[in-house]
Amino acid sequence: MDKPDPTRHTKTRTKKESLSREEHQKQLEFQREAIVHLNALYNYALHLTMNPSDAEDLVQETYLKAYRFFNSFERGTNCKAWLFKILKNNYINRFRKNSKEPGKVDYDLIKDFYHSIKDTRSDTSETESDYFHSLLHEEVYQALHSLPEEFREVIQLCDIEGFTYEEIANMVESPIGTVRSRLYRGRKLLRAQLEGYAKKYGFNTNNSQ
Amino acid sequence: MNCKKAGVLISASVDGELSLNEEQEFLLHLSECEECRLEFEDAKKTKMIIKEKIIQFKAPQALIMSIMQLTSLGTKEHEDTLLYE
Ligand SMILES: [Zn+2]
Repeated sequence: MDKPDPTRHTKTRTKKESLSREEHQKQLEFQREAIVHLNALYNYALHLTMNPSDAEDLVQETYLKAYRFFNSFERGTNCKAWLFKILKNNYINRFRKNSKEPGKVDYDLIKDFYHSIKDTRSDTSETESDYFHSLLHEEVYQALHSLPEEFREVIQLCDIEGFTYEEIANMVESPIGTVRSRLYRGRKLLRAQLEGYAKKYGFNTNNSQ
Repeated sequence: MNCKKAGVLISASVDGELSLNEEQEFLLHLSECEECRLEFEDAKKTKMIIKEKIIQFKAPQALIMSIMQLTSLGTKEHEDTLLYE
């Protein structure tokens, strides 16, 4: 009976491998579904906190939680929306509760923020020459941030992140009709702001090529 | 549909979020009303402005690394995608 039992040996190894394979599967799926949204999550966190190190903390925490509760993610639904919701909840718990003056915008911070980064985005693809295109990034950012948070939030989620009304409704925990009317009203306010900036340029159209 | 009713629908229409009925009525009104048509074009433009002018920041490399480690993933290929895409 000193003959090694190949069957038994294989069996043990297979069991061990399948356990780690399960974990490996989870990791792969998490990578495919969740990690691909890291840039979007960070960008959103940065716009929420206006502070790079807070944004990093928020994103870290979000991914930790997401990985831990990945089983509760409903397969086939939008993972980005799921992650955004976790991030938003983390943000409320961590930052908003301690905020002295919620919703107050620090324009100097925005200015520094925008000046501290180099805009690598090229605007040369813009062929239109109306006054909207004379608006600066910073001005659009200020206009957006001048809106009450409930309006700014839905505009950001809809226009920048491309979520559907249903996804946004779920994220902000309000009915779709509310999302719809917030977008309607928020955009009205935003337009007024943008046109205010544009007037500064005298509805400048002479930057056309 | 009158201009007032159409005006309320412009925002959701830009997002493609009108119901089929609303969409049909709305388009019908646009075909007959120059003013609302211009309003609609402006609304589309405003959405585009937000999309184009708000800078989207990329996650710092250190953050990407540490999140990869959280889930014990270190696929080189994937990091490259995030960093240089
Ligand atoms: Zn009309």
